[in-house]
Amino acid sequence: MFIIAIFLLLLLFAILSFAIKESSWKIATLESLLILILTMVYGILRFTGYNGGFVSSYSYAIDTSIGISFTVGVSALSMALLFLSAVIMFIAIFVSGREKFDRSFYGLMLTTELGLYGLLISRNFLFFYVFWEAIIIPVFMLISIYGGAGKEKAALKFFVYTQIGSVFLLLSILTLFSFYGTANHVFTLNMSKLLDSSFIIKYISGPQPFWTDFLLFGFFFSFLVKMPSFPLHSWLPDAYTSAPYPVSIVLAGAISLMGGYGFFAVLLPIAPVIGSGIAWAIIILGIFSLVYFALVAMFQTDMKRMMAYASAASMGFISISLGIGILSTGYIAYLAVSGGIFQILAHGLIMGLVFSSLYIIRNTSGSQSNLTLSGLFREMPIISTFFLAGIMASLGLPGLAGFIAEASIVLASYQVIGYIIFFIIFGMIITASYHVWTVQKSLNGPYNENLGKLKDGTGMEIAVLSFLFIIILILGIYPSLFYHMILVYVKGVF
Amino acid sequence: MNNIFINPQLTAMYPEIFLGIVAFAMLLMGKRTHNWKIYTSISIIALLISMVLLIRFDSSYVSYYGGAFLISNFGLYFALIMIVSSLYVAFSAGTTLKDNPEVFFATFLFVNVAMIIAAFSMNLIFIFIAFEGVSVGTYILSAYGKTRRNLEASAKYFFTGIIATGFIVLGSSYYYMATGTFNLISGVPEKGPMLIALILLFVGFGFKLALVPMQQWAVDAYDGTSNPVSAYLSSGTKVLAFFILLRVFLVGFSHFYTDVFYLFVIVSIITMTYGNFAALSENNLKRMLAYSSIAQAGYLILVIAVVSGSSSTFAFTVAIFAAMYYSLVYIFMKGGSFLSVSAVRKDKVEVNDLEGIGIKSPLFAVSLSILMLSLAGIPPTAGFFAKYYLFLSLISGNLWWLAVIGILNSAISVFYYLRVITVMFRKNDSNEFNLSSPVMLPLVLAAILTIGLSFVIFYYPQLSSIVYGLGVMGR
Repeated sequence: MFIIAIFLLLLLFAILSFAIKESSWKIATLESLLILILTMVYGILRFTGYNGGFVSSYSYAIDTSIGISFTVGVSALSMALLFLSAVIMFIAIFVSGREKFDRSFYGLMLTTELGLYGLLISRNFLFFYVFWEAIIIPVFMLISIYGGAGKEKAALKFFVYTQIGSVFLLLSILTLFSFYGTANHVFTLNMSKLLDSSFIIKYISGPQPFWTDFLLFGFFFSFLVKMPSFPLHSWLPDAYTSAPYPVSIVLAGAISLMGGYGFFAVLLPIAPVIGSGIAWAIIILGIFSLVYFALVAMFQTDMKRMMAYASAASMGFISISLGIGILSTGYIAYLAVSGGIFQILAHGLIMGLVFSSLYIIRNTSGSQSNLTLSGLFREMPIISTFFLAGIMASLGLPGLAGFIAEASIVLASYQVIGYIIFFIIFGMIITASYHVWTVQKSLNGPYNENLGKLKDGTGMEIAVLSFLFIIILILGIYPSLFYHMILVYVKGVF
Repeated sequence: MNNIFINPQLTAMYPEIFLGIVAFAMLLMGKRTHNWKIYTSISIIALLISMVLLIRFDSSYVSYYGGAFLISNFGLYFALIMIVSSLYVAFSAGTTLKDNPEVFFATFLFVNVAMIIAAFSMNLIFIFIAFEGVSVGTYILSAYGKTRRNLEASAKYFFTGIIATGFIVLGSSYYYMATGTFNLISGVPEKGPMLIALILLFVGFGFKLALVPMQQWAVDAYDGTSNPVSAYLSSGTKVLAFFILLRVFLVGFSHFYTDVFYLFVIVSIITMTYGNFAALSENNLKRMLAYSSIAQAGYLILVIAVVSGSSSTFAFTVAIFAAMYYSLVYIFMKGGSFLSVSAVRKDKVEVNDLEGIGIKSPLFAVSLSILMLSLAGIPPTAGFFAKYYLFLSLISGNLWWLAVIGILNSAISVFYYLRVITVMFRKNDSNEFNLSSPVMLPLVLAAILTIGLSFVIFYYPQLSSIVYGLGVMGR
């Protein structure tokens, strides 16, 4: 019930933010901070001594004849991502204090968080789908109302892409539902019951293999659009660039987790159904995304756009990890999949740090292009350091969170795909090179005097960014904090 | 002693008789007063009373007049939602009337009489008469107003409408030739004339639902008439036409389901694709909404395709439930969006004329956004749940390819619905809006209902138990 209480509190906060006119930024920041603290308390209370499976299971039957019930359950996967979305939302709302946003901005931000929480705790496919779709609406509004140049086109592109993805998700859900109903004469939308590989093998892939392909196509398509993976990514650069910075933080940190969550919450339990051909296909897609996005990012001069591609590139690791998990068994599979889940968490936190420090740089200097920015260390030493830290974490520096995830995935991959990991390494090298290059151009070197005198970040900003950096650092040095429970969860699922 | 007033055959007609008397009384009152407020309130009260009368009478599965009149909860449900759509439009119709409001509202009530009769008819002649009653009434309603555009719209509607009438009459006579009766429930008919009847009746009845290729009148008629009338044409009368299609083709042609299936699959695919693509490039707001309602009609008739194309009982139940639920939601989302056009003080409203309304009245913008999201089928609106049940019936009827086509279409439609939303939140101070309460109230009401009706799905067991009242044999 604790998690439902947090969810309802979030609902109340979202309504409050829409309603209260005065000092909406302060209120929204406090609200999101409270949610973050409560989520952490919840995690400590419920996940110490976690034994796999779901905690806080709760179910309220709404309509038994067609299987609709409000079912809640939190796994280690959901817990890690709940923590991530709470942190990202807090950071995004906090840094947005640099600009004058009105109350509906904060209302929409908290509605997005509400949608994420609903998605992560739902164990009924109808609610899963409703939240999955409902998240798009506030993000669409945030981009199309508060965005910069080309905001309407970007928002529409984002909506249409993800909408086309989601309708296929709906078809897959309906297929599972319909087959389960015909086979067992019980209609249910319970995710634990529908995502059961023995049921799918016996009733769908055995007698009617076509429907298995149909099902898997829908799931993969919708998750790959959200991720985004090559070739379904063309909404990404526009949406990230046109969105206001706080929304870009949310897009990179929290919205991108949805694709990964779909992979590990929906596709992992039915992994035995997925053929090795499909597994190879998504590994290749993942590697291709990694290399391709890294190469594209290398040629960007707009740093926001560059980091948008960098974000998409590191999501390639998640496709790879699922594919490896399907192809292998035992320890290697656990390593790959846990690495993938850890990567979602690490990637979100790192992108939060990168985008929020870049936001402060952009807000004070008025530029986000690495052609005009140079030598920022002289004027803004502290924020530059945070940006440097984010960049280093993003390229996978050992000791920081990103390394743990990438290392486990690469280690596991070598056991399965052998020397093809050369391409992964190649992608990582390109990533490292343009990351370092960006730092060199924008932070080091002689200061561009045209920018004038700049003010470093305020004390509060430094405190909040340090908090974020410390999380990344702790996860890099002591990953067991999350890695252990993720591993327990993964062992339970396989 | 057989008292004529408690004769069940007559009690069944009380709501129709009552509305008819009120309508004639209104025409007589026209000599005394021309105050539209009086007529609006009389019509609303009369419609509410007729709803009470409808609910009151015995609505178990009984048929009268030699099978021509079937009293069932299913028909009752549709009769009620058609009256609800009339009530919804009646609230806002009065303000747009310049003169002779009594004629407008009397015609309006006559249309409702015909609608109630149609909801219980199981005989082609009954259905034809009721259908014509509605048609003639709506010709008059759409001509209301003095501008040339109203008359032009009405003339187009009228001339194409009477051609459709001819098709229905000819189709009915072929139907009689094949079956030897006008009743929809008949023995095994002859194949040849029955197929001719299928095509002719399809053209005749499909006309009112604006299915492609009988769609062009709708765009012009909706565009030309006043906003409340186009709201009514696209909500109440569309639901009626859809209901008649369900009855005629699922009950009357139950021996020819293969032909019905192919006909409706082809027409449905063409209709929704045409409607969506035409709406994409349309800048006139009312014409855009008209194309969108053509596309919506394409989704609606998927129900007929499911029922005729699959033998699964579950698919049948869900499909008919989807039809019932979709019709109810459709009234508010479509009616509300047509009524919202009145907010712009202009004759021909472009989509871009809504610029800046989001800043002047966030309530209006949010309400219209909800309606647009619902039309596009995005959760958590009721439009999503309507589509959810529709696609569920397609999947459980093994018609996955039809579901994919439908779903791709609904993804395309997102483009033009969302364009309205983005336009509303742009900054522009030059547009003038009429945000008085007669404009705002129905829109806000529709938005609230569009969210609120999502909860109707919790009554799925109760509502799905009345689907047998459609009258399909063996189901």
